[in-house]
Amino acid sequence: MLISFLIWLQNLEPFSELRSSAYVYPVVLALHLSAIALFGAMIVATDLRLLGWALRDDSIGDVIGRLRWPKRIGFLLAATCGFLLFSSKAEEYYYNPFFRAKILLFVLVAVHALVFRRSVYGDPAELDRAPELPARAKQAAALSLFLWLGILCAGRYIGYVEGRAGMHFK
Amino acid sequence: MSRCLIRESGILRAVWFTSGVRPLLIENPLSTSPSLFPILECFHIAGFALSIGMTALVDFRLLGFGLQKQTPAEITRALEWWTLAGLIVALFSGLLIFSTDPDMYYLNWSFLIKMACLVLAVAFNYTIHRQAVSGSLSPPAGRLVACVSLALWVSVIFGGIFIAVIRPGLV
Repeated sequence: MLISFLIWLQNLEPFSELRSSAYVYPVVLALHLSAIALFGAMIVATDLRLLGWALRDDSIGDVIGRLRWPKRIGFLLAATCGFLLFSSKAEEYYYNPFFRAKILLFVLVAVHALVFRRSVYGDPAELDRAPELPARAKQAAALSLFLWLGILCAGRYIGYVEGRAGMHFK
Repeated sequence: MSRCLIRESGILRAVWFTSGVRPLLIENPLSTSPSLFPILECFHIAGFALSIGMTALVDFRLLGFGLQKQTPAEITRALEWWTLAGLIVALFSGLLIFSTDPDMYYLNWSFLIKMACLVLAVAFNYTIHRQAVSGSLSPPAGRLVACVSLALWVSVIFGGIFIAVIRPGLV
């Protein structure tokens, strides 16, 4: 069911064009990495602020609040390029263990957001009022750093898995 | 002692000739271990994402987005060490990646463009960009500087990706 959907997806005209184009594909890949480079550090900056390792002159509430939308926009840009890369070889990605690991890590990022929403991200001004930074905030930041670093490495390793034979590319 | 590079079944070897002595084969361990290369690439990506991203936070601030409660100079100072740390990780991992196949990189015009953009971007960052950050340029000039900085760093990334596309090299 899923696999037949993926085969249908990858053989849609724009995606099969993308797959066979010599230059558009690497341009999308470079845009994917550019979005990661330009916006990924916003996540790192937020985490470093929560850990107290950078931007200490700025309040936690200010850093989280002001970077929230830029981070969302950056994620949307990187995810759009990522979706294009995936869709052009959807069947192959489906079998790729590192792609699966990357998706699992994204699910964990979502779980992380839900778990720490109330205690950390929902009301960051509360963290600024606390005399000392709560351990929950530091845990959230450290976990976030590990998850995103894992996503970055899994992403790079996707390219190292040999494509299978018998893919239904048209 | 003179040196030459030979290529044997895709692996680059440096050969040191000493007169009268058997040539000494020196192999780059990075070229023979398939698992080290992707690890280096992960360091390279994490390093440049950190340093370019931290610079981008300053550029976005110059353009009027992001951490607006702080001045560009304050953001730069607060993130300076992380920017530099990322740059150092990216440069050293990049040098090691380069060492696995130096003649391919040297003869690759995308690599050469990447290096030119990198030198320009770093030079720009520590000169004109620094002036814009310190507030000695007018706001429109500051916005222009931010755009140039972002464009230079993105060109470095594009140059890097296209190394693999235009392989095997010049001509």
